[in-house]
Amino acid sequence: MTTNTTAATTNNTAINSSSKYGNQDPGSYFIDVARQYSSPVGGETELEPTELNTVKSSGGFLVVSIDKLSVKYTSVNLHGHDVGVIQADRPAPEKRLVYYFEIYVKNAGAKGQIAIGFTNHAFKMRRQPGWEANSYGYHGDDGNLYRGPGTGEAFGPTFTTNDTVGAGINYTSQEFFFTKNGALVGAVYKDMKGLLFPTVAVHSQNEEIEVNFGKKPFAFDLKEYERQETMKQQMKVDKISLPPIVSYGLVRSYLLHNGYEETLNAFDVASKSTIPPMYIAQENGSGEQDIAYALAQRKALRQLIRNGEIDSALTKLREWYPQIVQVEKSATCFLLHSQKFIELVRAGALEEAVHYGRIELAKFFKLPGFDDLVQDCVALLAYEKPHQCSVGYLLEESQREIVADAVNAMILLTGPNVKDAQSCLRSHLERLIRQLTVCCLERRSLNGGQGEAFHLHGALKLHSGKRAKCSHL
Amino acid sequence: MMSLFWIVIRQLAEIEAMAASKKVITREEWEKKLNDVKIRKEDMNKLVMNFLVTEGYVDAAEKFQMESGTEPDIDLATITDRMAVKKAVQCGNVEDAIEKVNDLNPEILDTNPQLFFHLQQQRFIELIRNGKVEEALEFAQEELAPRGEENQSFLEELERTVALLAFEDVSNCPVGGLLDISQRLKTASEVNAAILTSQSREKDPKLPSLLKMLLWAQNQLDEKAVYPRINDLSTAMLEDPAV
Repeated sequence: MTTNTTAATTNNTAINSSSKYGNQDPGSYFIDVARQYSSPVGGETELEPTELNTVKSSGGFLVVSIDKLSVKYTSVNLHGHDVGVIQADRPAPEKRLVYYFEIYVKNAGAKGQIAIGFTNHAFKMRRQPGWEANSYGYHGDDGNLYRGPGTGEAFGPTFTTNDTVGAGINYTSQEFFFTKNGALVGAVYKDMKGLLFPTVAVHSQNEEIEVNFGKKPFAFDLKEYERQETMKQQMKVDKISLPPIVSYGLVRSYLLHNGYEETLNAFDVASKSTIPPMYIAQENGSGEQDIAYALAQRKALRQLIRNGEIDSALTKLREWYPQIVQVEKSATCFLLHSQKFIELVRAGALEEAVHYGRIELAKFFKLPGFDDLVQDCVALLAYEKPHQCSVGYLLEESQREIVADAVNAMILLTGPNVKDAQSCLRSHLERLIRQLTVCCLERRSLNGGQGEAFHLHGALKLHSGKRAKCSHL
Repeated sequence: MMSLFWIVIRQLAEIEAMAASKKVITREEWEKKLNDVKIRKEDMNKLVMNFLVTEGYVDAAEKFQMESGTEPDIDLATITDRMAVKKAVQCGNVEDAIEKVNDLNPEILDTNPQLFFHLQQQRFIELIRNGKVEEALEFAQEELAPRGEENQSFLEELERTVALLAFEDVSNCPVGGLLDISQRLKTASEVNAAILTSQSREKDPKLPSLLKMLLWAQNQLDEKAVYPRINDLSTAMLEDPAV
């Protein structure tokens, strides 16, 4: 048996792509996709500051409470180098739109020389934020903003006992902003690079403040601020015009690519009756011929796999596209056999599952690229409630969808006019979303790594988040 | 002549300097990054479902739910009602549309005087189109004029609209544009948006705004890097970086 050929490449030598999947089994692309599901979808998670850093502070001059969220100046200040200054335990997270924290002034003490701001890791822990290079601070006694050495500049109102004051970083505009009692005071350009620590300082007897890193609700409506920032961005984006009906065409090609035939028919019927009638995609344009190939077969197979009828799917495949299931150790065969195994576990037919696994899955056990997934499959047998176990993801609907997507792509690859394997693996729409994601990531990394990235999952959730907020109010 | 020469030289030098400071990302590197993006199929399906639902493709949304297992995040019956209103306006049955909107949710027109004005305006236009001049005259006096008094911004539009009465050949007069199909579509999409808003849904599907975002993100990245772009959204083909 030959090991270096795959179903698709034996059948169609024209497939030649510079991509990762060009010289190997294109089905292995879907093995990678399946692997992604073993870990939860995440945007980016960065650790946030949660408390004050008691190790690195000007210890002699202040007392920190046990919960590490409030500080008090206990001595009598004598000069400019005995400031009670303290940073958060962690730097402000950067991979987001905005970072923000607040302080509540419990007692303005003798002189009310309280400051809030940001400093870097090298900051001298004896000085007010804003008095030294690489630091910014909004000061309570004069309402001035201090940045780096030099004098302060008029910025906002003073603040004192019972005031809540906030400091934030807007990564999109690259600005610091400050608030007092829930209202925005102002913003200033942030000409500092690198990680920044939320920093507070007290500098006269009995001054006492509490820090809120977000465990309690903020006085300032941060959600609304973020929404407005997003809107500003959105307005710039909205000015761009799109070629007419491009969305319509992309949805149509998505349905075609995936073999959602019934949806496609309903979509086409509806778009003929719209006023004015929607244009119908030209038959030979934009590579639609390729993805219109074998629509009925792809639809039928997707349906079978989605219903968990893997045996029937295999039978049909052997009949219609024997070349796809010809190579026993191909990724597509693996996906189909493992799905059959999963369906047996789902149905509670464990003995049969064991038997099937020995015949069809065992051969993948030591095969690089498959071994981890085989292990996950087999692990299903070990649990009484496989749905709730660590490999429970295999029992989800999404797993069937991946198998269906793999078969769909393999059939597309057997089409007569396939020039580019990539175009069979991903719909136009998906390629655009990938491009968008990479452009945003790349732009951010060229801009110092700060700001929000694009993640489709998050972008889709935005709206439901807004609704959740409405019901909350 | 000489000075022009120097201008060209300087421009070339500038272009070169700009190009030199840009990061160059090869197709291979870029494709690797594209492959590393994690996108879930169900999110792609949700994006498509959002388009079908917001644009009112009820039957397609129903089939898509069946074929892809994607749950629509709205009761599909409400789309049917919304589309019926939209269609009524598109066909010129404005009275019918107003009735339907009120059946759906009377607050929509109560809280949206501009929309109500535009619907009444459309009703007037339809009367003119059908040659019912007397009826139109009566309607203008009883329904449109009071709206115009209510609100200064409506007044101008009102006057422009009523001007239709002054012409024998309305299709060929300075305000004849009001009789155009596009006026109906404009009103229809305004009603559509208002109904969606009343259901606390966004009035536009997400897909076009993501596509705009892609074009925007590419433009932004152009300032800093040379990389494979997608210039034609409909084919989604990656084009080699021009170095």
